[in-house]
Amino acid sequence: MVTLDLSQLDITQANEKIRQCGREGVDVEIINPDARHNIGVGLVDPITVKVKGSAGYFCGGLSDGAHYEIESNVGWAVGDNIYTGSVVVGGNAGAIAGVAIRGAEIVIHGNMGSRAGQVMKAGTLCCGGNAAFMSGYMMYGGRIIILGDAAEKVGQDMSAGEIFIGGEIESLGNDTEIVDMAPGDLESINEFLDRYGMSFSGQFTKVVSAGKKLRYGNSEPRTRPQPFFISSQSSSYWNAKVQEDIWIKGEVGRYRIRGYGASKPVPHLNDIAFARDITQAPSDASVLEGINLRTKVGGRFGAKPLDLSMPVMIAPMSFGALSRSVKIALARASRLSGISESTGEGGMLDEQREEADQLIFQMLSGRLGWNIKDMLRADALEIYISQGAKPGLGGQLMAKKVTPELAKIRGIPEGIDLRSPSRHPDVLGADDLVIKVDELREATGHKKPLGIKMGAGRVNDDIKIAYKDGFDFVELDGLQGSTGAASTEVLENVGIPTLSAIQEAVDGLAEIEAKGDMHLVLMGGIKDGIDAVKMLALGAHCVSIGTAAMIAGGCIACMQCHVGSCPVGIATQDKGHEARYDIDRQAQNIHRYFESVRWQMAAITKALGYDDVHSINRDDLVALTPEAAEMTGLRYVPGQRDNTQHDDKLTDLSRKAG
Amino acid sequence: MCGIAGILYKQPGNHEIGNTLISMLDGCQHRGPDSTGFALYGDKNEQLQLRFIVPTDEAGKSTAINSIANLLEKHNAKIAAEESVGCSYKIGVDFGGDLLAFTKEMEEQAKLVSVGYSLDIIKDDGTAREVDERYDVGSFTGTHAIGHVRLATESAVRPEAAHPFWATGFEDIAIVHNGQITNYWKMRRRLERRDYAFHTDNDSELVAVYLADKLAQGEKLDDALKTAIDDLDGTFSFLVSTPTEIGYAKDHLAAKPMVLLENDEMIAVASEEVSLNRLFPGQAINSTEPAPGTYKTWSL
Repeated sequence: MVTLDLSQLDITQANEKIRQCGREGVDVEIINPDARHNIGVGLVDPITVKVKGSAGYFCGGLSDGAHYEIESNVGWAVGDNIYTGSVVVGGNAGAIAGVAIRGAEIVIHGNMGSRAGQVMKAGTLCCGGNAAFMSGYMMYGGRIIILGDAAEKVGQDMSAGEIFIGGEIESLGNDTEIVDMAPGDLESINEFLDRYGMSFSGQFTKVVSAGKKLRYGNSEPRTRPQPFFISSQSSSYWNAKVQEDIWIKGEVGRYRIRGYGASKPVPHLNDIAFARDITQAPSDASVLEGINLRTKVGGRFGAKPLDLSMPVMIAPMSFGALSRSVKIALARASRLSGISESTGEGGMLDEQREEADQLIFQMLSGRLGWNIKDMLRADALEIYISQGAKPGLGGQLMAKKVTPELAKIRGIPEGIDLRSPSRHPDVLGADDLVIKVDELREATGHKKPLGIKMGAGRVNDDIKIAYKDGFDFVELDGLQGSTGAASTEVLENVGIPTLSAIQEAVDGLAEIEAKGDMHLVLMGGIKDGIDAVKMLALGAHCVSIGTAAMIAGGCIACMQCHVGSCPVGIATQDKGHEARYDIDRQAQNIHRYFESVRWQMAAITKALGYDDVHSINRDDLVALTPEAAEMTGLRYVPGQRDNTQHDDKLTDLSRKAG
Repeated sequence: MCGIAGILYKQPGNHEIGNTLISMLDGCQHRGPDSTGFALYGDKNEQLQLRFIVPTDEAGKSTAINSIANLLEKHNAKIAAEESVGCSYKIGVDFGGDLLAFTKEMEEQAKLVSVGYSLDIIKDDGTAREVDERYDVGSFTGTHAIGHVRLATESAVRPEAAHPFWATGFEDIAIVHNGQITNYWKMRRRLERRDYAFHTDNDSELVAVYLADKLAQGEKLDDALKTAIDDLDGTFSFLVSTPTEIGYAKDHLAAKPMVLLENDEMIAVASEEVSLNRLFPGQAINSTEPAPGTYKTWSL
């Protein structure tokens, strides 16, 4: 047993020593813990950590296999996201005890705070005292045992799992019901209590999901797809798309759901042109010589940055929304082109990890597939707050895609219409996010760049919060950003255009004298290298490309991503449909598309007289429309429109790249 | 966006509330390293104590002090004592007129941050320890105090945006708040129609004015906190103090943390247990977390 004195060590030093003890198989005792946050986070070895006193937030969080014993109280989120292992708390626990556990055993001898067991997937959370409101909020599985009383809304919006209450229940949550104890329930509970030196002699009340809200009452009817390039044309008010939409709403009586992004026209990068004639760019392979495109992302606090061959990432898209084959193709293309791939929501695939050289691990509110082991094998981490397609809302994955395989990796019941929570259990403000950032950095030893993904809403404010909360980079997603499923109302109407987003972000950081300190990665409607260079000139450090990579890899833009029977095997979990997807061929197509992006970026850089793509700046751009000028503050030079034949030339160039 | 802490000793006397609150706020400084503030209650003064935030450059400072002097003269308030430290200018005045009118005019001209006979609000950029170095908060003795550490996110780091806020127009009342009031503009306009002035866009100022208005109507602090939980929408844990009481209110969703410790001698309350631990180093303490949607007050 090694004793660590927290009055002598800071938490980072202490966690390093705890992990070292873990590797050596030696138990640890912590003295003078002073209710400090993040004690023992990120531990992946089966040792015991004893805390002589109280611990703060996230005690034992993001761990796998270890055992924690806390003599006194704990703060918020004890045992956050533990896979296996146990935490025993002698005193009381703050809010969200046992949040997102995947199989661990958490025992609180005293009382526990609100939302205990939020989004938990498996394992047992046991409370010897009383539980505050919303125990089992949005739980997906596992068991909560409360020996005392439970306050209001027990099991609010739970999808699965069981809650046993020994005392009084103040009220039940939405979509829950009381059922009889099943044979074996009591034996199993008693066996658990016995193991932890507890006992109970009263009667339990068992609460489970009533299952009435797990699926939409009416599913989307089958219709002939109207592809994006048709539905986005605003020819008249009552065009075919609008009529169809009204008919279907008459049938299902709710909002519509579809894939892809906003289809209404908004000012975008086409409304901006280069200020100078760039037709002199060479149009052969020599264009790449002597031009620096290499871009590092995320070294603000000393983590090892992503090292990209050009300022381009592949946008986060989940295994779930997309088939396994597509995730493999994207990962391979990212390696071939020297850029990064991202897991999106829902966990990391082994094949994806093997194929990609640089892989960002995304961490979302539902904690679906989020685990310490994948964090440790990622090259960068990214906490998701929202996305351009649906700012303020969580992801949606319709039942057809929630197959047994997918349910297993995400830790949820099969066949539900999965609506991910709109917010993180432990991030209810900027101050909470600061503490979360600390946990994520502590759990991974401060080695990985940490980003935040935000849909573009109040960017001017949000960007300052992101800066203040200590992120290395921000992935900022405009209104035009696409998704696998969202309501059309939100897709079309919520958020601000990508062009406004970059400008607000740059202005916001300038207002707090932080321009350039935190890397901005812009996404939402970036279709080629020309768009990318314009975005860089406006102040982005890098762009992220999703939809264009999909199209390069075979997507036909039919906007039926949500249905789950994608005709080309991309947005589907149906093995038959997925078999249509040729991984080898499509990976090469995606790779060649990214090489065309590279050629375009290099050509424009050269034509503008620079040798580094990051030297291009606002002075190299003009606005072609009053709206774009207003949004960006660029000079309004409509005459430059006549000089846009260079676009044809560059398109020609990209063809040669292929 | 922040951390809060409060301490009340049940027995009257000169308790070391300054030092106590400094160490409590130091404990949760990670929740807000940008600015720190204290609302401290000591012996009742004969004169009304006013504290202003003034520019730190000499020219700006003397301009501000001059305009304060002119207004004092206009309202027949005589300076009995004055001191100037850092960004702060403090005076004691003999005043017998209409406080609401006086302070309203004063606030239009100068950044008035504390008004009271026993209250002193000290707030500035920096950590609890740094603010103590500038203002010697540690030497303050009294019966109760509340304090705040701030993480400046959407707005700039400025001393006047720091907490605590005094309840405009009403002496000796202060609040500290952690969270966001989402019906801020609706409530602010309602209070503005009743002739209250707002001097920041900080939602926490609204809490102070809201409570002051209720107290002015003769409501007990208890009742004011009860209605605040329903009237104010958003996420909050806040503390309020008067010359004889402190109280808390917590939103219905318990979205912001708060822990509480009561024994025979004191009530201590804070965003996190680490602040309470500072009062009893090395000892296990029996803290509790107040339930969502609850409020409570304690008197001296």
